Amino acid sequence: MNTPIKSEAFSIMTQATAGLENPAIDEWKAQGGKTIGYFCSMLPEELFLAGGLLPFRMRATGSEGTDGGDSYFTNNNCTFVRHCFSVALDGGYDFLDGVVVINSCDQIRRLYDNWLHKDISPFVHMVALPRQSGPDQVEWYTGEFHRLRKSIEEHFKVEITDKGLREAIAVMNETRRLQREVYELRKRERPPITGAETMAIMVAGTAMPKVRYNELLRELLTELETRELETTYRARIMVTGGILDDPTWMEAVEEVGGLVVTDGTCFGGRLMHCDVDEDIVDPMEALSQYYLADRPSCPRMIDTQVKRKNYTVDLAREFNCDGIIGEKMMFCDMWQVEQFMMTMDLKEEEIPFLKLEREYITSGTGQLKTRVQAFIETMGK
Amino acid sequence: MTEAAEVKIDDPGIQRFREERDQFTNLGAMIGLIDDPEVKLNVRITAFVAKARQKIVDAYEQGRPFIANNYCTAPELGLAMDLPWFMLFDAPFTLMGRQSLHEVIDESVAMGLGSDLCTAIRTNIYYVEKNLVPVPTAAVGFVFPCDGMPMLHQVMGHSSSSWRDVPLICPDPAPYFADGNIESIDYFANELRKTAAFLTEHTGNKLDMDKLKEVIDESNKHYELWQEYNDLRRAVPAPHGHSMGGQTCYSMAQIFGVGDPDVTTWFQDLVDLTEEKVAAGKGVIPEGKKEIRLFWFDLNPTTFADQFMPWLEEEYGAVMVMDMLGYHDYTTIDTSSEEEIWRGLAKRGLFDTPMVRQSIGTADGFVKDLHRVVEDFKIDVVIWPGHMGHKEMLGTYGIMREACRELGVHFFDIRMDIWDDRYTPIDQVKDKFTRFFEAAGYA
Ligand code: SF4
Ligand code: SF4
Repeated sequence: MNTPIKSEAFSIMTQATAGLENPAIDEWKAQGGKTIGYFCSMLPEELFLAGGLLPFRMRATGSEGTDGGDSYFTNNNCTFVRHCFSVALDGGYDFLDGVVVINSCDQIRRLYDNWLHKDISPFVHMVALPRQSGPDQVEWYTGEFHRLRKSIEEHFKVEITDKGLREAIAVMNETRRLQREVYELRKRERPPITGAETMAIMVAGTAMPKVRYNELLRELLTELETRELETTYRARIMVTGGILDDPTWMEAVEEVGGLVVTDGTCFGGRLMHCDVDEDIVDPMEALSQYYLADRPSCPRMIDTQVKRKNYTVDLAREFNCDGIIGEKMMFCDMWQVEQFMMTMDLKEEEIPFLKLEREYITSGTGQLKTRVQAFIETMGK
Repeated sequence: MTEAAEVKIDDPGIQRFREERDQFTNLGAMIGLIDDPEVKLNVRITAFVAKARQKIVDAYEQGRPFIANNYCTAPELGLAMDLPWFMLFDAPFTLMGRQSLHEVIDESVAMGLGSDLCTAIRTNIYYVEKNLVPVPTAAVGFVFPCDGMPMLHQVMGHSSSSWRDVPLICPDPAPYFADGNIESIDYFANELRKTAAFLTEHTGNKLDMDKLKEVIDESNKHYELWQEYNDLRRAVPAPHGHSMGGQTCYSMAQIFGVGDPDVTTWFQDLVDLTEEKVAAGKGVIPEGKKEIRLFWFDLNPTTFADQFMPWLEEEYGAVMVMDMLGYHDYTTIDTSSEEEIWRGLAKRGLFDTPMVRQSIGTADGFVKDLHRVVEDFKIDVVIWPGHMGHKEMLGTYGIMREACRELGVHFFDIRMDIWDDRYTPIDQVKDKFTRFFEAAGYA
């Protein structure tokens, strides 16, 4: 058992991750600040920041069931969507002043429809995301960002200036840089932080004011510089997949000896792999280029399979991983086929790979632990 | 050194097409013996499918280019560019003889594709992985209407696939979600223009705009006649049920007979025959039974509809008046200028084509179609098959149910796999119908 991270920064972050509305948001709201929820990491947080809004990445942490959502979706829909909608129907997102949705997948698009249908939020906006990441699509996506900008300006009666956008980009680039520093420390033979702890830090970054978050990260990094995990682990693991925001899932993997040293998930490593190019003159174009083309994407983008494979393999090697665990949600078609291709790719690269299916809320980790344990054993660890 | 004779290694996909050509021809000859004008009309479809297969086989054998394309990415281009084409995504539709659909489904799961993935996607990935789809000179991908499709295309381009070196272009839909949105149409029109240039680059065949106009003028006739036919299906009693029109019209106008004058004749004959039937007041259900008019709001489960739809007609007088693929609201394409041609093709592909129009848009589009069909076709019951693969349709479950309630029609939810009759076995499907009809006071 490791001694818990001592810094207050970490406890503030875990507080932000443990539920939805959290003290940092309450404080923001108490000062008259507005909060906007957004579905999917392909949306530009910078645009919200520049509009003076606090961006909150949507999740359904703490959801106790899918009953409400099941009246509008079916049991063949992904549980992330069903939990989110259940929380929405129960008023769990009432602290938000609006929601921006992207057609990242079919099920999220239907979540948008249901959101409107049940009149959940006072402001709802949909962004149309292309399927490819070439120059024509970047141009289209820039147009979509302009549409989003205008609708935020109109609804929230704010002005989003290019100057404001540039400042927001700088803040977010700083966030990314600091997060990369945390990941960098995990390359050590004895890393200072577990995968579960890292996940809490990453999720917190999507649920509190960014400037404050950056300060906390700096404080935390000071402690981590000299920290070393006490427990010894049997294998170094990389986790790859889609929406994973639950540190207890990572904990289960780590409890049986698989230390998660890096990940390529959309609450984790993919968020901060690189920066928005501050040299591009038009900040809207810079954001579009970054979110659509530069950052490692998910299987949603059809022209990025080779890039995705290389990203995964390179990361696994850089972090000296013994194996990769691919997690996917049940009824998610994109990650389903992605894992099918990944199985072949990683076999060719001779990197052990374990495919795991999960439900959004981790309940009962027995089977997960057994599978991971067996995986570690097959690696001879 | 002796010169070895060149051995042409046959493409297993081409071999499959040869087999299917023969199977459709034989099937046609067999059912053609039945002396019934409607059956004879359906038999002609088998000849169109066999002809489409033959064109690919010929091109392959003669070393001419041929392509893969799709029903919603300007299939007219193939004919206009003298490029025989086949629909990449046709495995579960045309699957015959070689292996049963059940076997293919089971093997796809064994290959590592989960059983919650749409069966149409699983079977097509299986076909690609097993080299059973002819490797074309170039391919036009189709990255909508669902999340499964883009994944299928990524498998095609994956290093393990025999298709990995096939030049592939995927016109990107990037739609705004409003029906007929002009920005989306212009964007997609540009994607289609790029597609034509791409095909020229990779096949050497040029696009002749006059030829394209000619093809579209012909396909416009298909759509006009299809519309006439659908108007006739509004009649009470319904002249046709699941076995006529609907999906077959779609496969003729958009896949196997695009721009073919013989298909225009086929549509005309369909209209004439139906007109006679309507004028005579003849329906599909047994005389004396009160008609229950069904709208099947999904693809018709062609591979096993015969196992329960005739039973519905005979037992309950319940007839499938319309289905989602049969229903359409096509506008003909204005061929007066190049600009309008591209726009028209884009609109047809994005906003007119059934399944695409509903699935890439917002639920509003779905509800609008539901209203229109229920009202125009005097529907009593909306059947919502709840196909396991249609995740985006499944996400409209509550919305559709409530829309039906507002319209005052029954909403009957089955939950099935429209390709696999083992998912919800036919006995269970029938049982569900029986219980539903009893509860709704029809039985
Ligand atoms: S897990 Fe898959 S299906 Fe669910 S929201 Fe994410 S991308 Fe969509
Ligand atoms: S049947 Fe539906 S889910 Fe399956 S491939 Fe077609 S559109 Fe996609």
